[in-house]
Formats: sequence, structure tokens, C-alpha cells
Amino acid sequence: MALRNLTVAGPPPLAAVADHSTRREVSSARGAPVVRIEGLVKRLRRGVIAVDGVDLEIRKGEVWGLAGPNGSGKTLTLKMLLGLVRPTAGKVFLFGEPVRPGARVLGRVGALVDGPGFVPHLSGLDNLRLAWRLTRRPADEAGLEPALDYAALGEALHRPYSTYSHGMRYRLGFAQALLGRPELLILDEPVTGLDPLHVRQLRAALAELVARGTTVLMSSHVLGDVQETCTHVAVMQQGRVVASGRVPDLVARFGAGSSLEEAYVELVAGSGAAAGDPGRSAK
Amino acid sequence: MIRVELAKQLTRPRTYLTFLALTAFALALAVALSATGPGRVERVGDIPLLLVPRTSMFTLPLVALSSTMKFFLPLAVSVFAGEALAGEAAWGSLRYALARGASRSRFLGSKAAVAALFSIAAVVLVPVTAAAAGLVAYGWHALPVADGSASTPLRLALVSFDPGQALGRLGLATAYVAAGMSSIFAFAFFLSAVSSRPLVAVAGGVGLTILSRVLNVDYLPGVAVLNGYMPNNDVDLWQHLFQQPVESAGMLHFLVLQAVYSATFLALAWWWFLRKDVLE
Ligand SMILES: Nc1ncnc2c1ncn2[C@@H]1O[C@H](COP(=O)(O)OP(=O)(O)OP(=O)(O)O)[C@@H](O)[C@H]1O
Ligand SMILES: [Mg+2]
Repeated sequence: MALRNLTVAGPPPLAAVADHSTRREVSSARGAPVVRIEGLVKRLRRGVIAVDGVDLEIRKGEVWGLAGPNGSGKTLTLKMLLGLVRPTAGKVFLFGEPVRPGARVLGRVGALVDGPGFVPHLSGLDNLRLAWRLTRRPADEAGLEPALDYAALGEALHRPYSTYSHGMRYRLGFAQALLGRPELLILDEPVTGLDPLHVRQLRAALAELVARGTTVLMSSHVLGDVQETCTHVAVMQQGRVVASGRVPDLVARFGAGSSLEEAYVELVAGSGAAAGDPGRSAK
Repeated sequence: MIRVELAKQLTRPRTYLTFLALTAFALALAVALSATGPGRVERVGDIPLLLVPRTSMFTLPLVALSSTMKFFLPLAVSVFAGEALAGEAAWGSLRYALARGASRSRFLGSKAAVAALFSIAAVVLVPVTAAAAGLVAYGWHALPVADGSASTPLRLALVSFDPGQALGRLGLATAYVAAGMSSIFAFAFFLSAVSSRPLVAVAGGVGLTILSRVLNVDYLPGVAVLNGYMPNNDVDLWQHLFQQPVESAGMLHFLVLQAVYSATFLALAWWWFLRKDVLE
């Protein structure tokens, strides 16, 4: 199937991995992928295979959108990237280092996954401070001020988190993801429930971060948004990546050149064959 | 990490409401005991010790300890231990605490340490409040104790502890009760590591306490063989400390039992938490 040809298949950095230099050197080696996922599988209780052989490679500075129907395994994939969920099979590397719970390399990642989560009786500001102190890194590395600017919470920052509206919670979650000036941002539906003005603000913030070299992987159902902000996109269905590559390529191939949404509909609605294609995994 | 956890829990309404409730209970008990007739004798526990409220400040803490150790204190301990990890999961902040590369063992350790600290504080708070009330009401006097089990109708076995001695014994008794909470603490903490619903973990701790009460020879003669192994059953044996001579074998057995229970459940909690999929 032609799908495979769209996968960004940059040469795997075997040279870097085989090199006997230290890990730090490997991870900063030019061209080493920021994210590398190989044959990732997650089987949940009751035998449900929620993620079924995902391969993905993301390079520095790329902005990836992750699309797919509800329950297609996007959030679980992101959680495995963060060492929160243990893969049943497959491997995950960040900056060339294998991810496991508590891996140090996770300190270079900021995340907002499955919605924000904070201590309800503490203020937004206290929550961010405590969240940073948990990392046991120096306070001046946190970059608290710029993160707070992005959240744009104003006076509400000093109110208990439990009094926040949905959108305010998401913005605080976004600010938390920015703590420590992460090199990789993992955002799971970051704009759900934000008002149009704040969506625009978040987009601008992302553009700014990307301009400074931040790599982004974000899941979203808002495909117009993905088309506008992302350089690359992966479409998941039933735990598999059914297509991935540069946004314009996917639009040209599946969307008849018009929009990513067209491409998505084509892929997901007419993809009984793609999802069940046994040859797919034999890369 | 411990300081972060302290900052989270100390500001939490549930924490100070628990402490407040225990203090109020101890004070209410003190008032109730003081209000009863001057010559009234208080019977403490199954052993039984007979104390006269009016004669010593120590009557109040002893009664307070024995009336909270079988339910209110296990409840408070279950709240602290059961909320520790599951509460964080329910807030959704667990995944962010762990996704930044914080060590899961260290995180678990800080949770256990703070919950344990609060649990010990809860146990200590009860007799301290009652003793303070007793000191105000009756002053610093010796504690005369009539040992009901050693007495016969013709002879009253009476022991008198001078105030310093009585205070020392009270301290030991409090430490014993605190140690006696550790099995329930560990069990609730284990459930807290497994479940993402704090209520389940709290209820589990309370459930274990009740189970321990119910599987008792007093109610079910058939289970006598289990009696020495129930986690909360022998928490009242500190009353031996106020007999003369002190019968310590049962207390030692109970303390060893607590150590075994808590080591087991804390190890299980740790094992589980290190492997846990943080799905919530
Ligand atoms: N806590 C859980 N317990 C059981 N099953 C789960 C759990 N979380 C996710 N799943 C299952 O895993 C599969 C993938 O879920 P996931 O949350 O990754 O989907 P998603 O692509 O993020 O969907 P959405 O677009 O709705 O956010 C689903 O079938 C879901 O039912
Ligand atoms: Mg999701």
C-alpha cells in the first residue's frame, strides 16, 4: 500500500547509537530524533489492544499533529512516551534515551495529557511552584514568569484551583507544561474548551516556542488547527498509525489537495482495508 | 519532596478537620467525665482497670485513648494513608508529578512519610488534649488504679503511680497505640497505591478494622484461633502497663504482628506503585 511511502523514513541514526560516546552526546547529536517509537503495543486489561504497533519518528523542530477517532489510542501512546504507562511491547526513545518510569530524560519534556491535574485547594501559582519543586531542579531553571505569561490568568492565579473554569484549568495546565523550558512539548488536545481568543493565543505561543526550536507533538480533533500549525501529522485508527508524513503530502494524497479534514475523512471513513491490512506491520 | 507533600497536605481542609474532630472528641469526653458524679468509677477496657475521674488528671487521657483506639483513630489513619496516593490520582496531578521524571520510589516515600507523620500526630493528639484538660481540671496528682482482674470481692488490688510515672506510662501507652495503627495504615496505603479512588482506600482501612473487631472470639467463638493475628484486636493491651507487675508478652506479640503486617503491605504498595500504569 502506498500509505507506507508517506511515512517519514529518515535514516535511523544507527551510527549515533552504535557510537561509543556517552548518552548525552548521542542525544545531542545532530539529527538524532527527539522522539522515536518502535513497534509500540499496549494491551489493557480484558485483552483490549489499545495501541497496536505504532512506529513514529520526530525530529527536532518538527511540529506533529496526532489525529484519530475517539479511543484510537492517542492518549495512551502519549502516556507511554512519558513513562506513565508501561508498553506491552515495543520501545520508546526520547532524545535517544530509552524511556522508563522516572527516566531523567523526561526532565526535558513538558506535557499536558488527558487534561490538567492540580491540587484543588491550592492556588494556581502555588500549584506551579510545587510542581516545579517536585523535579528537584533549581528554581531559576523553571522559567515561571514566561510560563505564567502564556497562561494569562491574571488575578485568578492567586485563587484556589478549584474555583477555576474549564478553560482556565487548561491554561494553567499549559503553563505547567512550559515549566523548565522543555525541548519537547507533548500536548493532548490542548485547545478543547478554550474560547476563540485563547485558542489564538495558544497558537501564537506555540508558534513562538517552535520558532525557538521546541519540538511539539500534539493530539487534536481540530484538523484545521493541525493543518495550520503542524508540519507533520499522524493519523491513528484502532491503535495503529494509518498514515503519517508531511501535512501537505497527506493533503495532496488523500484530501484531493483541498484540506486535511478531507484527507482524514478519506482515511478514517474509507479505511476498513487500511486498518485490517495484514501487510502493514511488515514494514 | 517531603516538604512539597507537607505543603499540599497541611493546607488541606480534610487534614485540619480530622485533627479538629479528634480534639473536639477528647475535650467533649473530658467535659462529660468531669460532669458525672464525684465518686464515679471509670472502667477502662477488658482487663479492667478502675479509675476514679476526680482523683487524677490521667483518667481522662486513658479513657480518651481507649475510646478512640478501636474506631476513630483507625478512621483518621485510614483517611491519611488512603488519601495519600489515590487522592493525587483523583486530582489528576499524579501523572504530572511522575511525568517529569520524579522517582516513583521517592514520591511514594514522601507520601508514606507525611501520611505516617499525620497518623502519629492524630494518635498523640487525643491523649495530649485529654491530659491537658485533666491537668487544668484536677492538677498534678498521683494516679490510683484498681486492677479489676487481680481483685477479689474481698481484696481490692490497688496500685498508685506517682504523676511522673503515670506520665511515662501514658507515653508508652500512646506509643503502643500508634504502633498498633501501623497495620491499618499500611493496608490503606497499599489500597491507595492500587486504586485511583481515595474512598476505596479509606474504606478498606476502616473495613479491616471492623473485620478485626468482628472476627473476635467475643462474637464468633469459632474463630478463636485467629484472635492473636487480627490487625487491630490487641491494640488495647497497653492497659497492662497500668497493672503491677506489667504483663508484656501479649504486647510484644502484637508489636511483632504490626511490624509483619506493615512491612508486607508497604512492600506490596511499593512493588505495585513502581509498576503501575498511570491511566487516570
Ligand atoms: N483507564 C482505562 N481503562 C480501560 N481502558 C482504557 C483506559 N484508558 C483508555 N482505555 C482504552 O484505550 C483505548 C485508547 O484510549 P485513548 O485514551 O488512548 O484514546 P484517544 O485516542 O486518546 O481518544 P480520545 O480522542 O477520545 O481522547 C480506548 O479503547 C479506551 O477504551
Ligand atoms: Mg485522548
